[in-house]
Amino acid sequence: MSVLRAENLCVTARIDGVDVAALDGLSLTLAPGKVLGLVGESGAGKSMLGRAIAQLLPPGFAVTAGMLEFAGRDLVAMAPDQRQNLLGRQIGFIPQEPLSALNPVRSIGSQFAEHLRRLGIADWRSAAIAALESVQLPDLLDRFPHQLSGGMCQRVLIAMAFASKPALVVADEPTTALDVTIQARIVALMRDLQVAQNTAVLFITHDLRLAAQVCDEIAVLYAGRVVEHGPADVVLAQPLHPYTKCLLLAAPAISGPRTALYALPDQMPGLRALAEMSGCRFAPRCPLARDACRESVPALAGDTHKIACPHIAEIDTITVPALAPAMVAATGETLVSVAGLGKVFRGRFGRKPTIAVRDVSFSIAAGEFVGVVGESGSGKSTLARLLMGLEQKTSGEIRLAGQDVGGWGAAARRLRLRTAQMVFQDPQSALNPRRRVGAIVTQALEAAGVGLAERRARAAEILADLGMPLELADRAPSQLSGGQRQRVNIGRALCLVPKLLVADEIVSGLDVSVQAQLLALLARLRAEHGFALLLISHDLAVVRYLCERVMVMRNGEVVEAGRTDEVFANPQHDYTRELLASVPGAA
Amino acid sequence: MLAAFLRRLLAVAPILALVSLLLFGALRLLPIDPAAMSMPPTATKVEIEAARQAMGLDRPVTVQYAIWLGQTLRGDFGNSIHMRRPVAGLLAETLPATIELSLAAMVIAGLLGLGGGLGMFALRDRRGEAVAETVTTLMMSLPEFLWALLLIFVFGVLLSALPFTGRLDPGMTRPVVTQFLLLDTLLVGRVDVFFSAVRHMILPAFALGVAFAPPIMRVLRASLIDTYQEDYIRQARLRGVGETRILLGHALQNAILPTLTLMGVQFGFLFGGSLLVEVIYSYPGMGNLMVDAVRNADLPIIQAVGLTYCVVVLAITAGVDGLVMLLNPRLRGT
Ligand SMILES: Nc1ncnc2c1ncn2[C@@H]1O[C@H](COP(=O)(O)OP(=O)(O)OP(=O)(O)O)[C@@H](O)[C@H]1O
Ligand code: SF4
Ligand SMILES: [Mg+2]
Repeated sequence: MSVLRAENLCVTARIDGVDVAALDGLSLTLAPGKVLGLVGESGAGKSMLGRAIAQLLPPGFAVTAGMLEFAGRDLVAMAPDQRQNLLGRQIGFIPQEPLSALNPVRSIGSQFAEHLRRLGIADWRSAAIAALESVQLPDLLDRFPHQLSGGMCQRVLIAMAFASKPALVVADEPTTALDVTIQARIVALMRDLQVAQNTAVLFITHDLRLAAQVCDEIAVLYAGRVVEHGPADVVLAQPLHPYTKCLLLAAPAISGPRTALYALPDQMPGLRALAEMSGCRFAPRCPLARDACRESVPALAGDTHKIACPHIAEIDTITVPALAPAMVAATGETLVSVAGLGKVFRGRFGRKPTIAVRDVSFSIAAGEFVGVVGESGSGKSTLARLLMGLEQKTSGEIRLAGQDVGGWGAAARRLRLRTAQMVFQDPQSALNPRRRVGAIVTQALEAAGVGLAERRARAAEILADLGMPLELADRAPSQLSGGQRQRVNIGRALCLVPKLLVADEIVSGLDVSVQAQLLALLARLRAEHGFALLLISHDLAVVRYLCERVMVMRNGEVVEAGRTDEVFANPQHDYTRELLASVPGAA
Repeated sequence: MLAAFLRRLLAVAPILALVSLLLFGALRLLPIDPAAMSMPPTATKVEIEAARQAMGLDRPVTVQYAIWLGQTLRGDFGNSIHMRRPVAGLLAETLPATIELSLAAMVIAGLLGLGGGLGMFALRDRRGEAVAETVTTLMMSLPEFLWALLLIFVFGVLLSALPFTGRLDPGMTRPVVTQFLLLDTLLVGRVDVFFSAVRHMILPAFALGVAFAPPIMRVLRASLIDTYQEDYIRQARLRGVGETRILLGHALQNAILPTLTLMGVQFGFLFGGSLLVEVIYSYPGMGNLMVDAVRNADLPIIQAVGLTYCVVVLAITAGVDGLVMLLNPRLRGT
């Protein structure tokens, strides 16, 4: 018997008096001991399935049709106390944000005790220690969540989820908040436990390559519907639905030939937009769409490899051109030169000082794109902030266009402002919510006292540069999508056409198709304006796609640097090798 | 942890110094001659001058302050001008009574507040919420002296259910061990006197505490609602933890932290508010002592009582901060 079975499952939300299906006719089965990947971009409805299993749907959402069974028992019709009885015993859940999923005021031990006592384990302490051992953690029962790293918290949560030897574990983006190297370890741990206990796992992720590595089967979700479902390796190697194919082509690869990124227009429609849609929900973005597509909903057809599109014969027409490896631009002048740079944060309240950056030297030529990679806490962001003068260096030298800008002085600041601009990670908080987009992108001109008419004209130019319609100039940041906000953020930095752009994790947290749009934008703007870029990213594939040189940082030091193609093809430092091996889909 | 708490206590020192300076300064500015006040009305100019020199009032103000501060730190608050007794003794008699009253009021405020907060949380998004909202607003908008009069009228006069003057039934004598009446009656085994004292405290404590309950309710309700949005609550549900355990074992432990901080702040106000309530209920505490002292321009008492209020309020705030630190591992500085 299957562990989990959904048949024509519909989860419907009531929005402004209209019913919209957030999950529309979902059918799938999960056999014992198998791993099913549920893949799709943000808003596809991936989390809805997990929430439906626990019947913890958001307010206004309800299962309105179809059925959902756990081991032959109807989860929707089941009495709440019976369902609660299953949760934590037969069905385990692993969350997306491990740091906030543990109660901050209770020790790990007390949270374990609560769980294990409920499972009827009297000697919970030794059981907890054994569970921690199974995820390679020492006895940290007396510690509190804030004393642990995200990866450790996630391992604690995995240990708790598997402590009851559940038949089913639902893991909703369990590694999204973690570094790649830690992601690789966590995924391996889950895999070991799952095999050892013959647990079925519903693995929810936005990363198709990660899913292919972890799962037996993959179901690709788009706007609440499964559009493709099949064996993991087949779906990855031979995607047949246009959305799956585009998604795969839109994500830069860590190995193999370098290609351009497929530019899917727009983004996944929200629930409100879905209400007015008919036929195939992918039609507005689909390169193969035709009028007939908007008339009827394509059925999911096929045996082991099911596709919800009647036009798969044309799938091979969706391609991207190959790119030459990113070449070091033949340049002359040095734009940035950094020598022996160091930064020590003094320990507050008697804590030890932190060496965030130590003895870093590098240079960036005019027009060159340089990537900085490394795990969180390795000093990447501090390096960027030092460069921008947002942080005072402890030692070393920073030169911009030949001049020393290491100090706090007014001359250094003016030069920095003229030469370099920074784009921050979180576009939401970086944009003033009360200002209009047009005013935001021309802020630098306003500060310089340029008149309104001229600023308007420049705003129009910038929006055109960003590939955004002019009408967006009068919107507030809250009325934009995440990708649009990040574009505005980039546009603001490009207003005065700087010689150097420093970008800190600007595509992390964005959907693959939106990320592709932004990366293409940066490449195009570079061709037009010829600025240099220091790109900080935890995503090695993004760096491989965009940058001709790369620096690998660890514990504040640059452990390896060189041409991107050479470093990635032939890493010298152990850490670089580990980093590269952790990336899903690494050859 | 201990170090952090000691640092917290240390931070209180400059505040205390400032308050002592203000108290000393403000009272010196009053057009009252402490030397003349301390002598019988029949005293001659020469006698007063002698007293002035004995009290150091002819020395520079800074020296006077130093003298006063030194004496205060040694627990010597001087003699009451009016009652001709050491102020320290008067304080020792009245402070425990006021502390007992305030603690009782805070317990009432806390019980009502926490219970009401949980009740309001249970009622959230239901029709009862608006009613609860109105009732709590009403509770809050009456000042404590109106509550005092209202309670006297209803329970003392109309229903004759509870006494409303003094601390004990007429004819009872109070045992003295620690000066804390409730404690002393129990220590000497006089249960009848204990219950008499409790009955006498119900109305004043209620009058003092009831207005402080609604803010506690609201903060608790709001922070419970916030806490229920947290990931760890959802994760606990997904682990099959029951709703009662979620509330008591997970949500409340987190939501209580801002509530406790609020209660610490409130206790300061409540302690100050005890003054009026004591007067209305003829309750022999520091409030009545203060009112008499003001009436008689009894400077040493005013200074000592003012300083005592300040010390108690600061001690309570520091104590509550310590408690919050103890309950919140993130503040324990590890
Ligand atoms: N609490 C809510 N209230 C209203 N709409 C919601 C709520 N939660 C989700 N939705 C909507 O339901 C749809 C499906 O959301 P769901 O969270 O399942 O997406 P997802 O695929 O898990 O996305 P992500 O990758 O961002 O987690 C989306 O359109 C989303 O906007
Ligand atoms: S049905 Fe039409 S619109 Fe939908 S994926 Fe297939 S070709 Fe594209
Ligand atoms: Mg989700």
